[in-house]
Amino acid sequence: MVTKEKESIKKKVYPRHTEKIMKGNYAAAEAAKLCRTGFIPAYPITPQTTIVEQLSDMTARGEMDAGYINMDSEHSVFAAAMGAALGGERVFTATAGQGLFYAHEVLHAIAHFRLPMVVCNVGRPSIPWNIWSDQSDSLSQRDTGWVQLYGESSQEVLDTIIMSYILAEKLDIPVMVVLDAFYQSHTSENVWIPDQDLVDEFLPAKKRKGNEIDGESPKSYGGLVPPEHYGKFNYSFWKAINKVEDLVTEIGQEFEDKFGRSYGPVETVNIGPETKMVFVTVSSITSTVRGVIKKYPEIGLIKLRLVKPFPKKSFLKAIEPLNDDVKLIVTERNFMGDNEGALMQELKRALYGERNLKMYDFYVGLGGKDIPPVTIEKVIHRARTNPKDVNWIGF
Amino acid sequence: MLEIRGHARGGQGMVTAFEILAKVFSHLGDYYVQSFPAFGVERTGAPIQAFIRVAKKEIQNRSNVYNPHLIVVFDETLFDQVPVFDGLRENGTLLVNTEKDISDHVPEGVNVYKVPATKISLELGLGSKSLPIVNAAMMGAIMKLLDADIEIAKEIIKANVPSKPEANAQSAEIAYNNVLGLDGNEKFLLENLNKLDDDIEKEFKPEDLEYDEKILDGFDFPVWSDPLDVNKTGNWRVLTPEYVTKEPPCTNNCPAGTDVRGFVKLAAEGKFEEAFDLIYEHNPFPSVCGRVCPHFCEQNCNRNDFGGALNIGSIERFVGDQVIGKKIDKAKIKYDEKIAVVGSGPAGLTAALRLVEKGYDVTVFEALPQAGGMMRTGIPKFRLPDDVLDDEIDKIIKKGVKLVLNKKVSVKELEKDFDAVVSAVGSHIGYNMKVSNSELVEEGIDFLRSFKLNGQNAGIKKGDEIAIIGGGNTAIDVARTVLRLGAVPTIYYRRTENEMPAIHIEVEEALAEGVKIKFLTNLTDIQKGADGRLQLEMIKYKLGEADDSGRKTPIPIEGSEYMLEADKVFAAIGQTYDNYVFSGETIRAKQGKTPFEAKIPVFSAGDMAWGGTVTEAIGSGNKVAEEVNAYLRHQPYSHDEHVSEVILPSDLNEVYYLPTPRIDNEIYHAKDFYNDFTEVMKPLTSEQIVNEGHRCLSCGECFTCGNCFNFCPDAAISYDENGRLRINYDYCKGCGICVEECPSSAIDFKLIVKN
Repeated sequence: MVTKEKESIKKKVYPRHTEKIMKGNYAAAEAAKLCRTGFIPAYPITPQTTIVEQLSDMTARGEMDAGYINMDSEHSVFAAAMGAALGGERVFTATAGQGLFYAHEVLHAIAHFRLPMVVCNVGRPSIPWNIWSDQSDSLSQRDTGWVQLYGESSQEVLDTIIMSYILAEKLDIPVMVVLDAFYQSHTSENVWIPDQDLVDEFLPAKKRKGNEIDGESPKSYGGLVPPEHYGKFNYSFWKAINKVEDLVTEIGQEFEDKFGRSYGPVETVNIGPETKMVFVTVSSITSTVRGVIKKYPEIGLIKLRLVKPFPKKSFLKAIEPLNDDVKLIVTERNFMGDNEGALMQELKRALYGERNLKMYDFYVGLGGKDIPPVTIEKVIHRARTNPKDVNWIGF
Repeated sequence: MLEIRGHARGGQGMVTAFEILAKVFSHLGDYYVQSFPAFGVERTGAPIQAFIRVAKKEIQNRSNVYNPHLIVVFDETLFDQVPVFDGLRENGTLLVNTEKDISDHVPEGVNVYKVPATKISLELGLGSKSLPIVNAAMMGAIMKLLDADIEIAKEIIKANVPSKPEANAQSAEIAYNNVLGLDGNEKFLLENLNKLDDDIEKEFKPEDLEYDEKILDGFDFPVWSDPLDVNKTGNWRVLTPEYVTKEPPCTNNCPAGTDVRGFVKLAAEGKFEEAFDLIYEHNPFPSVCGRVCPHFCEQNCNRNDFGGALNIGSIERFVGDQVIGKKIDKAKIKYDEKIAVVGSGPAGLTAALRLVEKGYDVTVFEALPQAGGMMRTGIPKFRLPDDVLDDEIDKIIKKGVKLVLNKKVSVKELEKDFDAVVSAVGSHIGYNMKVSNSELVEEGIDFLRSFKLNGQNAGIKKGDEIAIIGGGNTAIDVARTVLRLGAVPTIYYRRTENEMPAIHIEVEEALAEGVKIKFLTNLTDIQKGADGRLQLEMIKYKLGEADDSGRKTPIPIEGSEYMLEADKVFAAIGQTYDNYVFSGETIRAKQGKTPFEAKIPVFSAGDMAWGGTVTEAIGSGNKVAEEVNAYLRHQPYSHDEHVSEVILPSDLNEVYYLPTPRIDNEIYHAKDFYNDFTEVMKPLTSEQIVNEGHRCLSCGECFTCGNCFNFCPDAAISYDENGRLRINYDYCKGCGICVEECPSSAIDFKLIVKN
């Protein structure tokens, strides 16, 4: 009979929260509302559309006090976001795949105008035409200057958006929070929604810093910067971006104190001196890997939440207990037109001169290809027997 | 952990139902839940899947459900379309919406539960018969299998369905109480629901990995001219496109039934003889009709507002003229019955030809010394040269029709020697003017006949002023003929140009040649003056309300009378038939079998029975031949009217046609038409005919333009070995782009009714 269980394993209950069954996209929209974002420029694209639809509903119903504009393209969406952020608004929007590619030019501008904002990207690839889950879109924007955080569940997406506004507004750098298409965006699951006043206590209203557009104090934006000064702006950005990893750790701890859920730049599972093999994952594949490796006491997992800038310090700390003969299994749901996927590129850069572990790259789940437990089993088998530097599994 | 996989059709509400179910589970028992559809392109009616996982601890699997404990099928027709039982676990369970015996579809060892969800939902007004929305009922049934509290489930359903909360909750409850097949085996589901350890779904086999690594090659370019075989989009299809041939307005309008689109196409390909043969199936007078028909085919041509109607008349004329002197094989007589046809006009000759083709012995009797009826006697040479007519009659004679000239006959006189008579005597007797001294008015139709047959010019001299009363083709032909005899003709017509029954182009040509027309005027009185000239009293008219035929009634204006002089007056106000054929009895002759007392059956056709143009007479002749044959062969005869859907301009996609202008005929114009009977309308050249033929829009017929081939996003359309376009329904997802982009409305889009 389906009844309230008296079982020993009870779901954790979070005070000042309400439990709901919610899709990842709705959790993202809910987070934007809880963060009291004041401006949302929007353009629909699968699989992101239900985020901006939900925000449109919430603003129309008066549940949110935000300006909402349907734009004519994603390029315009990001341009409008940039304008509103220059005006000092707390801005949110969402896009996916081609939409993000189209906005590429403005992504650079937003980052280097030092505009804090949070944007959700629901990953899908470009050509061959495909609407399904893939991280090639966001990972190909690694060099635009945006911070990138990836969530594993609807809950994590919601929580990460809240934390990201603190991060963005502290450093004046924009943050992209990435969901997996469908496996998160369209999957209904248990989500704890924090009360508004709890979020308000954690995330205060956006403060004006004096460099915003202000009719009383006119300024010039976007003027030509000659060579004598250009690099100095980059230097300032460099200093700020180098603070991201520590700040993510710090905000994660503050968040845990307040909300009861813990997040850092990376998360580790079963890492110790006995570990022989370690999966490196981002996003929803992590859940399935967690399930499979329970059978294998010698296999561990490192989940990357912060992908850009790469959390080198946290990662090195995570692998500290590992012996040198451990195999790192890097899963890639992206194709960057190079031998190795984006995560392996980042990882090798981070480990250079630090540790000399065996590293194997595994392309899995491209273009939404399902990654059932058996695919993870195949990866494990290949990693144990004749792995190549780069492997393609489960297509 | 319990895993459920659902199979439904898009629009049945399964995805919503599974989301609500997740909420129900979460509410009822503190479960962790995951509910999601198989992500794809979900079209109404297409097969879809959705999944639920419910567990007592965090779910550590974010992939599709491959090994469900429970399979839920929303639509029994899916058994034939989708492998619904794939991966079902041992002791697995099926819940299906059906009232039928489905045991043939179910593998051994599966626990089957049935629920009549469609019936329950329709009775509560949820969805339609073609797409019942059964989701709440299915939720109720699932609740039963899991022994859940239906009252709580009903509340959650009410709060979460997009519409009709009460009906949905009620359907869930009825379904809950009407699950068939309960036998205690449901425990299997409950046990798994509350089990804490996961079992990995599918066992890993190393050979599967090797297979994975082998199948990667061969995908170089994401471009394909054949369908992408990995994506069989055909099962998304709800509406199905299909190549069809529909009736174009030209063919539909032709009284003779000619396949106009067909012969125009052949002419455009330069296949003039084939075009002739196609015309000849319905019309043995293409050269004549190409010249003198009002071209009903052109009147509703969809090119009308797009460069002008196709010049079909000239194409027909050209095709007919191309085969002058064509060799004709005599038809074999295979029946004993002999048939007499009275009258050698277009109706009589057509009927005779068709009956000869069918195998009868047919004799045509003609009162005059030359055959052709009104084509011979009523249409002047400058519109229809004699040799053209001679040749088309000659072809009919060659086929085996016997022709007896100078023999005026009645049905009675034929009773002895024949088994059936077709009366097609035409309308050669002009109506008299109802004025005093009407003997001073001559009949226009008689004048045209005497002039053509005998060259009698009725004493008309150069410079004579001649009044012609009437507005039809006879009036115009008389005026243009007397003009060529040097006279000065004026037509008086009591209505306006809009109401004139004459062919418009003929009116224009007459005016250009110098014929004057006075509208809203009629003759009221006529006297012979002392000088021998005629004194005419005319009266002015105005137009009143439209009559039954739609033409406005002319009303004389009192006191508007005025006088004028003329040397001659012709009446051309309509004709009737010569009732000698019925021995002087006035029979209201209608098309086909005629109620005239005789020893042999009598049929009527042509002008005396039906329309007033050559082409209508031909159509009448075709029909009467069918009826005579059916009568003699004791077969049923049904008169088949055009009722099919005709292509309108709005059915076409004009984007794909250029507004090419109509190629018109040059008109012969002389400074002085005195004694000049040259044919007025010049023919088009062979090149012009081909070009004009290419202007045809091919309304309602595929002309293999390839638009559908180009636009089909799934490459489901291809050319077959004969160059025709074909749809591969394995890949056609029913998007309808081909239907939209077809220029000529030659693809239909139909709902496939399932089972």
